[in-house]
Amino acid sequence: MSRAPRERRNARVARLSLAPYSVWAVLFIVVPLVFVAYYAFTDNSMRFTTENITKFFTATSTVLGEDGSQQVVRTYMVIFWRSLKLAVISTVICLLLGYPTAYIIARAAPRTQKTAITFIMIPMWMNFLIRTYAWMTILQDTGLLNHLLAALHLGQAHIIGTEAAVVIGMVYDYFPYMILPIYSVLAKMDTRLIEAAHDLGCNNVGVLRRVIFPLSLPGVVSGVTMVLIPSISTFYISQKLGNGKFFLIGDAIEGQYVANNLHFAAAIAFILMVILLIAMALMKRFTDSCVRGGV
Amino acid sequence: MKMKPAAKVYTALIFLFLFAPIAILLVFSFNGAKSLSVFSTVSLKWYRELFRDAETLNALKNTLILAVCASVLSTGMGTAAAVGINKLRKRYLRAALDTVTNIPMMNPDIITGISLMLMFVFVGQLFGMATSLSFWTMLIAHITFCLPYVILQVLPKLKQMDPSLPEAAMDLGCTPLRAFFRVEVPEILPGVITGLLMAFTLSLDDFVISYFTQGNGFQTLPIRIYNMTKKTVTPKMYALATLIFFAILALLLLTNLVDEDDSRRIRAARDARRGRRSHAHRPGSRRPLRIAVSLLVVAALAIGAIGFYGQRAQPLVLNVYNWGEYVSDGSDDSLDTIQAFEAWYKETYGVPVKVNYDTYASNEDMYAKLKSGAVSYDVVVPSDYMIARMASEDMLLPLNFDNIPNYRYIADSFKGLYYDAENRYTVPYTYGIVGVIYDANQVDEADADGWELLWNEAYAGRILQFNNSRDAMGTALYRARLDVNSTDRAVWDEALAALVAQHGLVKSYVMDEIFNMMESGEAAVAAYYAGDYFTMLDAEADSVDLRFYYPEPTNYFVDAMCIPAGCQNQELAEIFINYMLSEEPAIANAEYVYYASPNRLVYENEDYVNDMGEEAMKILYPNIEQFAELYNQYAYRNLDQETLDYVNSLWETLKIN
Repeated sequence: MSRAPRERRNARVARLSLAPYSVWAVLFIVVPLVFVAYYAFTDNSMRFTTENITKFFTATSTVLGEDGSQQVVRTYMVIFWRSLKLAVISTVICLLLGYPTAYIIARAAPRTQKTAITFIMIPMWMNFLIRTYAWMTILQDTGLLNHLLAALHLGQAHIIGTEAAVVIGMVYDYFPYMILPIYSVLAKMDTRLIEAAHDLGCNNVGVLRRVIFPLSLPGVVSGVTMVLIPSISTFYISQKLGNGKFFLIGDAIEGQYVANNLHFAAAIAFILMVILLIAMALMKRFTDSCVRGGV
Repeated sequence: MKMKPAAKVYTALIFLFLFAPIAILLVFSFNGAKSLSVFSTVSLKWYRELFRDAETLNALKNTLILAVCASVLSTGMGTAAAVGINKLRKRYLRAALDTVTNIPMMNPDIITGISLMLMFVFVGQLFGMATSLSFWTMLIAHITFCLPYVILQVLPKLKQMDPSLPEAAMDLGCTPLRAFFRVEVPEILPGVITGLLMAFTLSLDDFVISYFTQGNGFQTLPIRIYNMTKKTVTPKMYALATLIFFAILALLLLTNLVDEDDSRRIRAARDARRGRRSHAHRPGSRRPLRIAVSLLVVAALAIGAIGFYGQRAQPLVLNVYNWGEYVSDGSDDSLDTIQAFEAWYKETYGVPVKVNYDTYASNEDMYAKLKSGAVSYDVVVPSDYMIARMASEDMLLPLNFDNIPNYRYIADSFKGLYYDAENRYTVPYTYGIVGVIYDANQVDEADADGWELLWNEAYAGRILQFNNSRDAMGTALYRARLDVNSTDRAVWDEALAALVAQHGLVKSYVMDEIFNMMESGEAAVAAYYAGDYFTMLDAEADSVDLRFYYPEPTNYFVDAMCIPAGCQNQELAEIFINYMLSEEPAIANAEYVYYASPNRLVYENEDYVNDMGEEAMKILYPNIEQFAELYNQYAYRNLDQETLDYVNSLWETLKIN
């Protein structure tokens, strides 16, 4: 058989096997996003308006400052920055804890690797709402942690209801999403590169910094994305572990949906989406250049 | 490679962190009391209850059906897509597909959920469908968010594969299809299986997207758990989580055995190659395993489909939408009122009926779902002010009381209340009064008076407040003796100021979390519904002594059964309502929920009165004769949308303080 018809047939196979997914992606990924935009820019009677968008940036509230004075702040800006802050902190902690874990697992015997990865995934099979609920039992003032601390004469820790509790919840729930992609990159890494670096006089730290970490960057990027995105938008963790004391952006969206302000909920979702897509595009560009520069 | 000790310790700590909450679930699943904070006695009670609870098992079945369907379909479509993407030669097309594939991963769940919901609802309205959300919309949503994970697992395997392999196969006379299945599939199989597992796991664990896209009669476990706001999350769920945990462990052990079998086979093959004979060598021993696995998957799918259709094929279906944990579910040998209705109906009318019993977390939640046309139900149980709102928006149907003869047992005090002045739309289900609950071991009896206790600085950091705007603002308004139904913004501003002042004293804004916090002594003071006080008493720790009193004035509420517009079978719905008023189910519900019942068959029943005890009767039914008067004076009314929006914005202000 000659090459040309086979090429053509390959193209036909490609089109054929892609067809269902392409249709699906347009119908259920692209079109729904158009609907978010459509609802974000309309009012209850479906007339065009930018009011929902401007409300997000301009709505103000008067709050009590730390010194007891009254301050006027932009409501959704405060909520957004707090969500971002907690999400970034959680992501950094996940990375700092998760990278060594993934590294250790990737260097273990194959059998151990498989078991360890499965055990990292097991908690995900138990419902995440239930797991978060269990954290309340551990973290509350009369909870397990404080009983333990008291038994060790280490004093008491007030965690539940603070931002720290929410961060713990986020780190816990999204930890596997950080480990799995980093692990899969590290496990596939060509060990000859590491040996070569050693042979060329690199010490352990140097190998890690110059060879292993740059090569694992794609895994780190997916890990960071997969932790940052859900933690910025969560609304259950903040309700349960934050003692309902503060709103995150997810709470704001859910709150507006429940309060029957579908259009404003869509507007917040739309703005969040735009910000995240821009951030991700920037991050991708940055790491692409890093990966190219590193190798 | 051997692990260094430091690495061992580190991994051990990580796994301790990952499994600490699971250990908690495991331990508390054996708790005799209904609490996740106070352990009383070791008991297998919740395991027994779990297997008796048809609704929970049904939710489990739904979750599994959805996860199996979503993971299998998304793996099929995703693998095909990956093969296609890999063969694409046009760069821009590839880039476009890459971007689109990444969207569900880059987008927060909540946006994926809302976007799909908006589209489904829009399309539903376009075609004039009674309900736009169903099992199918949920399945579409799950397939959509699983797809990118499958593609990203399979694509790298395709890239790693030498493209000349299928070429070679075809040169040797294979048809392209045969080459694909014989050469490519085995190469990419590990990626496909990982993708399938990931999709299954994600679908199983998803709550947010399901929350926005769920339809009638198909609720999954996460949604049911989220909606358990009336009472605390039932320990049955911990029992279920524990069982799942051990099931996975067993599965792991099994696959490990299979692995061993595999490695033995490989060793045997190696030996055979070296010319040695081995008894362990069984040619093609892997094939039966694969067949077994695929058979299992197919069987699971079939069972799922049959179960699903079997359920759908019932001639009569009644869709009931009620608060989570707001009906007797058969625990502690009580009557499972939903099952009892099905049995009773079949016996009385000779035809089977299937009740789809779904739950919601709040009035507003239920309203948002019904209003958008996303779902439609035959019976709902809203609170008074929400009934007023729904009636004014033509969302309720007038009842035919000929089908509800038991309505005569409803006390007269509960007829003609403001939300249904002409007794057209509603049959009261429960009623109650908001009171203050405190731990006498932490609170000085002298302080336990009026609303002031919730603002008492002596108990800073131990006070609980409602986590919904209406009730929280309500406590501040009752305290200042202001109108809780005011349309005057200044009044609401004053309520907010009081709540902001209280913010520093508040330990937590709670709904269902109140149970664990009060039972364990974690908090000392809370305002909540009278009936829930008795639920807490049942599970309080030894060091806790909960007491209760009514502040003046306070909130009175009624939750009533109604039939929403869009009901498919009104007569059946009315028969259901009537059944719920009859003696046995009404008492079972009242004893389970612990809220006061407006039904004479309940509160005049001797057994019920004895079961409740003197104190409970006194607190739950303090002044049934004057109820209408107090109620009409202090109950929440429906607020206009403008005031609601304003209150909502104030609530957000409180939450950024």
